[in-house]
Amino acid sequence: MEREHEALLRPLEQTGRGFYLLIAILLAVIGWGIFAYFQQIRLGLGVTGLSRPIFWGVYITNFVFFIGLSHAGTLVSAILRIVGAEWRRPFTRLAEAVTVFSLPFGAGSILLDMGRIDRIWRVLLHGRFQSPILWDVTAVSTYLISSVVFFYIAMIPDIATLRDLYPHAPAWRRQLYRVLALGWQGTEAQYHRLERIMGWFAVFLTLLVVTVHTVVSWIFGLTIVPGWHSAIIGPYFLVGAIFSGVAAVSVVAALLRWVLGLQRYITPRHFNYLGQFLVALAITWFYFTFAEVLTTIYGAEPSHMAVFWAKFREEFSWAFFAMFFFCFLLPLPILVWKRTRTIFGVVVAGLSINLGMWLERYTVIVPSLARPRLPYEWGVYTPTWIEWSVTAACFAGLILLYALFAKLFPVVAIWELKEETPTPSHAEQPKPAEA
Amino acid sequence: MPHWAMVIDLDKCVGCQSCSAACQAENNVLFVGPEQAELGRAIFWNEVFCHIEGEYPHVKATIVPRPCFHCENPPCVKVCPVGATYKREEDGLVLQRYERCIGCRYCAVACPYGARYFTWHAPEWPEGMDRYQNPDVLLRPVGIVEKCTFCIHRLEKGLPIPACNQACPADARYFGDLDDPNSEVSQLARSPRALRLLEDLGTEPRVFYLKEGA
Amino acid sequence: MVTKLTRRDFLRIAGVGTAAAALCEIGPRAPLLRALGPDEQVAAQAHQEVWQATICQQCQAGCGLLVRVVDGRAVKIEGNPLHPSNKGKICPKAQAGLQVLYDPDRIKGPMRRVGERGEGQWEPISWDEAIGQVVDRLAELRDEGQSHTVVFLTGRVLGQMEGLIARFCQAYGTPNHITHNSISAAATEVAHWLTQGHRDFLGYDWEHTNYLLSFGVSMLEAWRPTVRNVKAYGHMRRGRPQRRLRMVQVDTRFSITAAKADEWVPIRPGTDGALALGIAYVIINEGLYDKDFVAQHTFGFEDWSDEKSIQHMGFKTLVLRDYAPSQVEAITGVPAETITRIAREFATNRPAVAIGDRGISMWSNGLFNQIAVHALNALVGSIDTRGGVLTQRVAPFLPWPELATDPVAEEGRSQPRVDHVGTRRYPLAEDVYQQLPESIIGDDPYPVNALFLYYTNPLFSSPEVGRFYEAFEKVPFIVSFSPFLDDSTAYADLILPDHTYLERLQDVALPPSLGYPVVGLAQPAVAPLFDTRHTGDVLLEIAHVLKEPVARSFPWRSFAEVVQYRISGLWLSEQGDITATEFDFFWEEFARRSVWSDPPYNFGEWGRVLATPSGRFEFYSQSLRDQLAKVAGDDLEGLLEELRVQARGDEVYLPHYEPPHAVGDPQEYPFFLNTYKLMAHAEGRGANLPQLQEMLGLHVNRKWDSWLEINPGVARALGIADDDWVWVESPLGEKIQVRAVLYPGARPDVVCIPFELGHRAYGHWAKGRGVNPNWLIANETAGLTGTSAPFATRVKVYKV
Repeated sequence: MEREHEALLRPLEQTGRGFYLLIAILLAVIGWGIFAYFQQIRLGLGVTGLSRPIFWGVYITNFVFFIGLSHAGTLVSAILRIVGAEWRRPFTRLAEAVTVFSLPFGAGSILLDMGRIDRIWRVLLHGRFQSPILWDVTAVSTYLISSVVFFYIAMIPDIATLRDLYPHAPAWRRQLYRVLALGWQGTEAQYHRLERIMGWFAVFLTLLVVTVHTVVSWIFGLTIVPGWHSAIIGPYFLVGAIFSGVAAVSVVAALLRWVLGLQRYITPRHFNYLGQFLVALAITWFYFTFAEVLTTIYGAEPSHMAVFWAKFREEFSWAFFAMFFFCFLLPLPILVWKRTRTIFGVVVAGLSINLGMWLERYTVIVPSLARPRLPYEWGVYTPTWIEWSVTAACFAGLILLYALFAKLFPVVAIWELKEETPTPSHAEQPKPAEA
Repeated sequence: MPHWAMVIDLDKCVGCQSCSAACQAENNVLFVGPEQAELGRAIFWNEVFCHIEGEYPHVKATIVPRPCFHCENPPCVKVCPVGATYKREEDGLVLQRYERCIGCRYCAVACPYGARYFTWHAPEWPEGMDRYQNPDVLLRPVGIVEKCTFCIHRLEKGLPIPACNQACPADARYFGDLDDPNSEVSQLARSPRALRLLEDLGTEPRVFYLKEGA
Repeated sequence: MVTKLTRRDFLRIAGVGTAAAALCEIGPRAPLLRALGPDEQVAAQAHQEVWQATICQQCQAGCGLLVRVVDGRAVKIEGNPLHPSNKGKICPKAQAGLQVLYDPDRIKGPMRRVGERGEGQWEPISWDEAIGQVVDRLAELRDEGQSHTVVFLTGRVLGQMEGLIARFCQAYGTPNHITHNSISAAATEVAHWLTQGHRDFLGYDWEHTNYLLSFGVSMLEAWRPTVRNVKAYGHMRRGRPQRRLRMVQVDTRFSITAAKADEWVPIRPGTDGALALGIAYVIINEGLYDKDFVAQHTFGFEDWSDEKSIQHMGFKTLVLRDYAPSQVEAITGVPAETITRIAREFATNRPAVAIGDRGISMWSNGLFNQIAVHALNALVGSIDTRGGVLTQRVAPFLPWPELATDPVAEEGRSQPRVDHVGTRRYPLAEDVYQQLPESIIGDDPYPVNALFLYYTNPLFSSPEVGRFYEAFEKVPFIVSFSPFLDDSTAYADLILPDHTYLERLQDVALPPSLGYPVVGLAQPAVAPLFDTRHTGDVLLEIAHVLKEPVARSFPWRSFAEVVQYRISGLWLSEQGDITATEFDFFWEEFARRSVWSDPPYNFGEWGRVLATPSGRFEFYSQSLRDQLAKVAGDDLEGLLEELRVQARGDEVYLPHYEPPHAVGDPQEYPFFLNTYKLMAHAEGRGANLPQLQEMLGLHVNRKWDSWLEINPGVARALGIADDDWVWVESPLGEKIQVRAVLYPGARPDVVCIPFELGHRAYGHWAKGRGVNPNWLIANETAGLTGTSAPFATRVKVYKV
């Protein structure tokens, strides 16, 4: 007899060669990235392509990008939970995993960018709360801790299931499940308490989502750098974050569905919803971008126009137009028409959006720095292999953590599936078997 | 305690860069070499801008030496996460605690005048050249931000002017107490020729320029 | 509670301990830990600090310096407020003196070449050996009656080194003491000689000048004494509340000086003389000239007849005949209205001064350009007036003693010079440095057997450099005194390294500028870093080790004694701002202040100022006429032909314009090549100074590399974009690769490459960096003055 949730449990029990190969490749990329970073520590940030006036580049782009990625998890598991969107259930954990595993690389990218990482403790000792960086440190750490806790708590029932399911697993694994299960027995009272805690967390995390990315944007927005000092930068970044995050979740979900055979849990209907959600986000993103551009060029202030021309027709035009293509021109048609709003279509759109959004961060950050107000020497920024290697290592690290997580825990919250109440709109989905 | 300010007469300045050279020598600012200079990483706490514009034969050059302005409302101080850069109340100088700087470069990004410089690599003094280091000035390590200090070490030693002013052959630079209405800098700062860079940003620089021309 | 240390605990602690020990062994300077370790703080300790007064020698201005010396190390250079030229201020070159002193590529002791020339293999030898080798060779040549085949080539010689080297050559018996003046602005000095009787540059009372008309003079960048000029500029602009200087820069490019001037007048290269005469036309025609001065102190303004009753044309007649503004416009490209306007401004805003130097005088017609420009000063009465041109008094050095009687030396001295000075080829020249390659290669007039190089780098600074490399191959014995392994020193056989100037004692006189004599004393700021020796001391020792009677001409034990000997004349004269009852007290004070000066400038000493045959400013140069007559004999026409002088008759001796010779067909080589000097230029010696390299091209935002300034419209027509690599090729067939800068201040018919870079040796910061335009420049010489005419070379430019 086939076990219930066989697809979810099999990865925990069997490991194919493909997995080891994946891990090996990821470790190699990460190792190379560590080596590159070591060069940076040894020789200084001069090994990057940064210079005056372009003091921030790929690392800060990554910082914003990874934190942006993290927003979707919270959106899916927290916000959709609050509004009672039931179709979220298969996604909650895999989305929250994206959050939990991308946030460290967001925060980590800032650390990688520091000239003196050995002085990080000074931020704790001398931290000035007048500085947006400190707001950022506070918000992101709070978000990270809260997300990790939330993620963990949401796994407890399933961990308990695993604890009970694998009495003959290796000692360390048994120990892991036992400790993390926190003595969960699945009583009514426990479930009730869990739901309540998760409810509060959901609200808290929703607030944090808005706060975190707004605060991230204010690192730029609160300076007087032309192109950054914009009132809508908060909402703009927030929308962008959710946009890239949801796109990422779509891609991850499709990938897991394909690799792990989760067709039963994650259906084209889900991607249909995600696709529609992405359309809304794309249009909102476009609105913000358009408003920003129009305001700039209509006002035609010289220092702002210098930045605009840098993006529109000078050395950053490739990034600007690529961004627009990947964020909007390519995905929108795919997602608007139902015929193309398939799983594959959504994946293509999702990847495109993420690429576009990385370019968007880059296009926000670098051209403004490349056009200082005073006519001194304009720097040219060409990221070096160090920066790309470290970036690659961050992505590899994210994937590695995710892969390890998927190896130890089911990527779909089994206990939450059981809670899903069938509604007429869900008629076509097969009912989960009785527990 | 004097509130230091500087006046630079652009009518007299000829862009010789003696100020920049003197500053580097006084403050142990090392050259970065051709490859690094090509990347835009040369360090000039006092930097001379030269902007050429126009079409042949109607050409104009604008030459402006730019030290740090030690602004009254410094955008850099606002954003520093650890208070490594701070404005000293007594004399208005905006200074840097090298040992505290974490190298995030937020201050460098925030400064609209490009007055801040970063040590992209550890300065490597060529064999024997460390002998001409000035013992009064700290050597900066890799990964931190540095900038003009109005030669605070000279001021504290009782030498009344920074190295740049001391060197200027055109006698184009003035230095003194802006709080004293009778000082030379105060009078020049009130001159109809006086202006400050990017005045409308509200940074309130303490370096005034006297316009070129009659 | 005692915790039991388990074996595992112990290993863990030991592991940490070992790691910590390992880290300590790496030490705090290890790259890893330097990034992570504590900041380097200089410990607060007591320092021995002195401020040593001395003189800068980065150019010939000789500004007074105060060097801050801490614990025996020079750490800062500032100006000496007591020096009347710079008054406590300095230029960036002076600042970089610290890098001259502490250059890691310096030569550390005497060396002898091993292997082939240019291979770069050297063997350190002792001073005794080195001097011994020189003495052996020199003695040998003298014994063979070949002492005249020794050439002593000098460049930036300062103070008594000049006289000592001259004396050495005389006492030894060679006429071939050749200075670099001919590859510099010697023609300017000749122009002053022919008109005022002073073969020298002139001074200027800038403090009172109202109008400055500069013909191509980079006054604010590279016109010694630079600091004095820049200071004066600041003063002229804003130091006199009632009067603000008006300054017009006539120039073939938009230099920094042109940028600071009130007006830039772009001019066709080599035609400045015509412009000056066009201005003279207006001034004369409208009666705006200083009639009193012209009447009392000039000769040759009106037509005149000589003692043989032959009628001679006057300056006025010539100018009015040939140089109407419309005619001059056609020659120079400067609009007639501009000429007229500037002429009126110049004449009515006195004191007004016209200046010209290297830019206008290093042409085939350079002498005449310079004379024409200087004539303007006479026209408006600016010679020897407040705000005008000063003729500097010379410091009363004690005269050199008589040379010892020595028939061998006399015989040697009487031989013709290898640079053909004193022959028909160069009637007015004192040196023709750039003649050497042909003379040496052609053994003309005789083979050169030994070459001494002091403060000069012919394998870098000469036109048609390649030819000089060939010439070097023919000279069997080459000795360099340079402390640096520059291009020429790299091809020497023997190096006897001098101290750098911060380690030396010598005097440095102020070049013509303030009008009154100023002598600075350069004193060692630090003890010599390496086993180097003052070249003055070395020459004395060579002289002493050589047989009598050479040694007898040098009754001094050290160069310091030479300086003191000569300086004693200042003391004896009882002039100047140091007086003392005894010389020792004088010297003490002199050393303390590091400068002696004798202000003020006394105006109106006409006998001294106008030392011409007529005792007046000679529009019609009798000196020129007499000298040419002497050299030409009865074939003046032939001589003028040979010298490629186009004028004839009286016009030759009057300020006039004749078109310059150019090398290269304008169709194929459409551009003049302007090679100019930057503030950071340090006379070609600055390429090994990283501080200067890093601030080299302010106006084009280029560092550490050469560039070619080219007019943007012309560049685009050639398909050249900013920063493109281009070839610059001259009719010599030589070409160099350089990056183009589209510069709006470039005339369409001129491209510009600054001097300074393109060394093939000279330390790792200079070697192989940038390009040296001298490789392209044809070795054209203006025969009359023997001055090199580098600006004659036309070039073509095309994309790589």
